[in-house]
Amino acid sequence: MRIGVIGLILPPTFCFLEMMWRICPALAVGCTVVVLVPPASPTPLLVAQLAGELGQFPGILNVISGPASLGPVLASQPGVQKVAFCGAIEDGRALRRALAGQGPELGLALGAESLLLLMETADVDSAVEGVVDAAWSDRSPGGLRLLIQESVWDETMRRLQARMGRLRGGRGLDGAVDMGARGAAAHDLAQRYVHEAQSQGAQVFQAGSMPPDSPFFPPSLISDLPPASPCTQAEVPWPLVVASPFRTAKEALAVANWTPRGGSASVWSERLGQALELAYGLQMGTVWINAHGLRDPAVPTGGCKESGSSWHGGPDGLYEYLRPSGTPTCLPYLSENLNYDTFGLAVPSTLPAGPETGLSPAPPYGLFVGGRFQAPGARSSRPIRDSQGNLHGYVAEGGAKDIRGAVEAAHQAAPGWVGQLPGARAALLWALAAALQRRESTLVSRLERHGVELKVAKAEVELSVRRLRAWGARVQTQGCTLQVAGLKGPVLQLQEPLGVLAIVCPEEWPLLAFVSLLAPALAHGNTVVLVPSGACPIPALEVCQDMATLLPGGLVNVVTGDRDHLTRCLALHQDIQALWYFGSAQGSQFVEWASAGNLKPVWVNRGCPRAWDQDAEGAGPELGLRAARTKALWLPMGD
Amino acid sequence: MSAHQRGTELDLSWISKIQVNQPAVLRRAEQIQARRPVKKEWQAAWLLKAVTFIDLTTLSGDDTSSNIQRLCYKAKYPIREDLLKALNMHDKGITTAAVCVYPARVCDAVKALKAAGCDIPVASVATGFPAGQTHLKTRLEEIRLAVEDGASEIDVVINRTLVLTGQWEGSDFIKTSTGKETVNATFPVAIVMLRAIRDFFWKTGNKVGFKPAGGIRSAKDSLAWLSLIKEELGDEWLKPELFRIGASTLLTDIERQIYHHVTGRYAAYHDLPMS
Repeated sequence: MRIGVIGLILPPTFCFLEMMWRICPALAVGCTVVVLVPPASPTPLLVAQLAGELGQFPGILNVISGPASLGPVLASQPGVQKVAFCGAIEDGRALRRALAGQGPELGLALGAESLLLLMETADVDSAVEGVVDAAWSDRSPGGLRLLIQESVWDETMRRLQARMGRLRGGRGLDGAVDMGARGAAAHDLAQRYVHEAQSQGAQVFQAGSMPPDSPFFPPSLISDLPPASPCTQAEVPWPLVVASPFRTAKEALAVANWTPRGGSASVWSERLGQALELAYGLQMGTVWINAHGLRDPAVPTGGCKESGSSWHGGPDGLYEYLRPSGTPTCLPYLSENLNYDTFGLAVPSTLPAGPETGLSPAPPYGLFVGGRFQAPGARSSRPIRDSQGNLHGYVAEGGAKDIRGAVEAAHQAAPGWVGQLPGARAALLWALAAALQRRESTLVSRLERHGVELKVAKAEVELSVRRLRAWGARVQTQGCTLQVAGLKGPVLQLQEPLGVLAIVCPEEWPLLAFVSLLAPALAHGNTVVLVPSGACPIPALEVCQDMATLLPGGLVNVVTGDRDHLTRCLALHQDIQALWYFGSAQGSQFVEWASAGNLKPVWVNRGCPRAWDQDAEGAGPELGLRAARTKALWLPMGD
Repeated sequence: MSAHQRGTELDLSWISKIQVNQPAVLRRAEQIQARRPVKKEWQAAWLLKAVTFIDLTTLSGDDTSSNIQRLCYKAKYPIREDLLKALNMHDKGITTAAVCVYPARVCDAVKALKAAGCDIPVASVATGFPAGQTHLKTRLEEIRLAVEDGASEIDVVINRTLVLTGQWEGSDFIKTSTGKETVNATFPVAIVMLRAIRDFFWKTGNKVGFKPAGGIRSAKDSLAWLSLIKEELGDEWLKPELFRIGASTLLTDIERQIYHHVTGRYAAYHDLPMS
């Protein structure tokens, strides 16, 4: 089902084609679009003219030419269901913070830097042409990080410098030039970067002599930049190339992934096995092998980490503008007086209840971290009361340290889980389902104590078992091949896990929601940190006892405690790849705001309960889509 | 022709380290043809420069002294006098780079050029052209006889058997093809050859020349070839000592383009002297 009104905020550096690639899919699925573009280039006027020609359907495409500060204004208009932002990373972050609680979903496509990995087994001359395509042409979106294997460093630098000497800058419409100008802002940014790099000890080689106040910036090659310098962390602007050496393929992968951004990259090597291994290992949205900058509207293009998680092109691009049928429209749920600095900071202290009478309760549940139950850092527990008000049990009071430990354990377990064959993953999920079934009577009695009717409790357990089995069966293998017009060779659309997924489970359906959220996350290769229902966490902890014996340690980690405090820790954690929050409206707003830290994709319920027992909401394709990300792998063919 | 190469020791490791990625080379080839278009008077200048690189060739079974004579005269006066005068280039000594004929016709070519008062070299194809599948003794004898007759350049067909079994020879020039195959000089092949020439120059300091032959018929093509050399190797290679184009009908097309530039009209085939 289409989303509705889309607000699209585009940067001035986009060409007409890129703007249309964002607008057309939205229109195609039936959404109406309002585009906001800064007036630095005439391209938006062309789009506006086209919009005006859609006479039969006035209003489906609207173009506003205005400053970027209008972005939040556009987003807060009633009726805007989704805002898609393309542009600089810091602007995206600011927008994410400004839109927390406003209502519309936010899709971010940020940054323009790309990466080129040059192995010693590459065709160096062709790779140099790849560098030209990536950084020194009018089609290149931004600067380039160039990683060169040490053994071919000298010959690559020599060829690069010779090639730079042949590049021609000039007015963009002159057919014989390679690079035009992109405005004063881009020029200044590049100039500042070069000066800073030089002051940090780098060598800068520039081709062509430009007069000092010409709008054209010469192509520049920066080398010997110390890895610890601030310039290495910052995004490389157009038209600069920052070259660094590496020794082995393993080091290349580590250096390539050691950046907060994850947009696009190319691998140059004539050894197929090595090229594929690197391509699979890179944390990027698009990887080209022995090519750079190939684009096609049928191939999903997007990024990961701080490059934003929104996609355009291919089926993923269409899903950006769709939502499951029956989902209510997004309404603003802003709570004006939410203090981001103090939300969930302190755990409200509770006086211990009076002396307990009756049977002595079971020893408190610990936290389930790293495959076993362990005591929380704070060494305290909280009581769980059943529907009669009697003491049901004690669960651990988890805090920031425990979250940190849980995320670390999840990261340690991640490579092993990703490396598992799909069949093995499916087998584990089925084994867990079987264990759950054996535990049915215990679970039913626990649920009953919290006021759930026997029939409903039984149904809940049965449905949980069924969902685990279903997701086990749906464990995806690597992905499908797309056919791209104009390319000889396949483009693989790989489905990859996000990494560590943090899930704050809802209060309703304490067992079913727990399982319904856990299963798709695991099935897609993620490792999970969960915060179960606050009022009724014990069924979840019972399931953990089975997971302790069946699943590898660290795969699933369950932390109990004050939900707001734990949500705060998870939302602010920089090393969690996605966060699903099903709790209060205030919590949802905080999660949206805090996710701007590392721009992790979030899924919040805005305080509204979900019908977990309905398949559409509890086991629909939306869960699978949110639990994985795509990587497009281009393999041009020919010898 | 330039001084003879000193040559280097054969180092097979240079060859085994070479990697060529075909799709990337194809992409570069497409790009070269699309970028760097040259227009107006600059185009006329480039076309005249292209003329000076042509090895005016006739390699047919029915060559006789009469058509060789015509060819040599055309080599001396490639563009009609009045057109050159209009461009103010009539006194710059614009001739083609060489005349290329079969060994048996070398005598005729030398005589015709002397009669025309022209000192451009005569090149001869030799060594069992075009297949190269004759005995080494006869091939060497062909070269000797052609040189005796007055040829100062020889287009040698290498023994492809030796190539395919990895036994290499050296040379002053490399040529893309004999011109007698179905597919001759194409840009992707040329790009790889030019990169090899550049590599060799960087490693040894020796400059090897380049000659595409076969399939270059239009003036637009010749401009693309010139810009390819300029992009990959630089201006140093844009000299007849290091770059030749093996062509026969190319000259007619260039002349017609020049005619159009000078007069603004399209010429009929009989407006320009026959070659």
